[in-house]
Amino acid sequence: MSIKEIVEAANEKQVPIYELAIKQEMEVTKSTFDEVWAKMEKNLETMESAVKRSVEGDGVFSPTGLTGGDAVRIKKYLESGKSLSGDVMMRGVQGAIGTNEVNAAMGVICATPTAGASGTIPGVLYTIKETLQLSREDQIHFLFTSALFGMIVANNACIAGALGGCQAEVGSASAMAAAAAVEAAGGTPEQSAHAFSTALQNLLGLVCDPVAGLVEIPCVKRNAVGTANALVAADLALAGVNNLIDADEVIDAMYRVGRQMPRELRETGLGGVAETPTGIAIRNKILGKE
Amino acid sequence: MNAVTLKEKKNISYKSCFDVIGPVMIGPSSSHTAGALAIGLVANKLFKGLPKRVVVKYYESFAETHKGHGTDFAIISGILGFATDDSRVPDAIKIAESQGIDITFLEESGDSPVGHPNTADIYLEDDSRSIRTVGISVGGGLIKVKHIEIDGFSLNPQGSLPIMIAISSRNNLELELRRIFKKYEVDINNSTNLEKDGKYLYQFDLDSQLSGEARKELENLSDIANIIIL
Repeated sequence: MSIKEIVEAANEKQVPIYELAIKQEMEVTKSTFDEVWAKMEKNLETMESAVKRSVEGDGVFSPTGLTGGDAVRIKKYLESGKSLSGDVMMRGVQGAIGTNEVNAAMGVICATPTAGASGTIPGVLYTIKETLQLSREDQIHFLFTSALFGMIVANNACIAGALGGCQAEVGSASAMAAAAAVEAAGGTPEQSAHAFSTALQNLLGLVCDPVAGLVEIPCVKRNAVGTANALVAADLALAGVNNLIDADEVIDAMYRVGRQMPRELRETGLGGVAETPTGIAIRNKILGKE
Repeated sequence: MNAVTLKEKKNISYKSCFDVIGPVMIGPSSSHTAGALAIGLVANKLFKGLPKRVVVKYYESFAETHKGHGTDFAIISGILGFATDDSRVPDAIKIAESQGIDITFLEESGDSPVGHPNTADIYLEDDSRSIRTVGISVGGGLIKVKHIEIDGFSLNPQGSLPIMIAISSRNNLELELRRIFKKYEVDINNSTNLEKDGKYLYQFDLDSQLSGEARKELENLSDIANIIIL
């Protein structure tokens, strides 16, 4: 399957992409509509709980203390009304960072498509549900649409940092969210595909370089960028700015870039910021000197 | 650098929406925590019961980052049969040790024997029996099982779950198993039959999940076969 086929099917049948996703899921897993719907609703509830938990009290902190509390800071800053990139953007960033703080704290999250990238999609949803006044039903539709796009990238390329770097995780999540955001805003299937290709193309080459092998630095902040990039890519597509390299070709490019990355930059904690003096010092402190 | 081709791409691995939006899980990593737990769960299902001794060998990314990613407690959670969102997951090692299970983790320096950066090789034993399985975590919590040793048999499945294994002293179970898969419209991607010392092993790589009713019907054969559904 390809993104081109999704766009063609949606146009031919005159149905939204989420409907294609739900139908396919019912067929493949031999489930009823209610079963499939309930499962996605549980995923949505998990995402909502994580964002909520991240801003309770002083926030959540990881066992190492390397990350935590930033969602609370962002929320306060947002409420001051002085943010440079605007409330919509910062609300998304807050949701993204909050989710990944809960993840780093070994809390419960929904992998979207991975745990390391679990903030990107909820971040986008957390902010556009306000902007677009999305109902609960709309939000579940958003997740089904992003899932269908995610299945294409997972099957035709990869979504594991150990195989493709962070571009495969946050890059994929950002592209999935961008495509679903366009649909939620009333864009066409073609515009969803343009948003997808723009978002993934913008993050090509992003390496996976976790300090001490932990899903904290730089993962938490990378999700803020994943969310921001998705919003920008969605807005570009809705403005009619197309991406000349089509989505399926960008997926192939992402896969090839991943295969060309040395193993140090694919989730081994042996390159990138993990290998800076500070990164090494943190590794030695937490894991003990080897 | 030479051009990288796309030839090595695989079959459809991610069949469900919930393979990419999901699972609901305890952080911090879907491949190194949820996926590792899933590999542990394979060992649990093969062994059926708690072992006395666990040896886990890690390769490549798993070897480098298992401490930071919580891979150790995740694998043990799987061996104990916990779900990915069970709140006991971070405490699994303590829980296992309190039940007298001896645990060893080994970081292997060589390449993965099955060619994947996220590889775990799990060995379980008690006084009378042992199993071994080699699993890979391919991303987003999804795994493949590349090697199984059980009851003197050695298997190298194509990898994608579900996999159904039946071990029996009867040599005529294949038709019955196929009948059940057909009845519940589960396609078979690959099948293997092995014989050793008067025991027969039937392995089926299935195309889709088994329904509750299909599982029940298979488990009804438990009197005459060891039924394992991975």
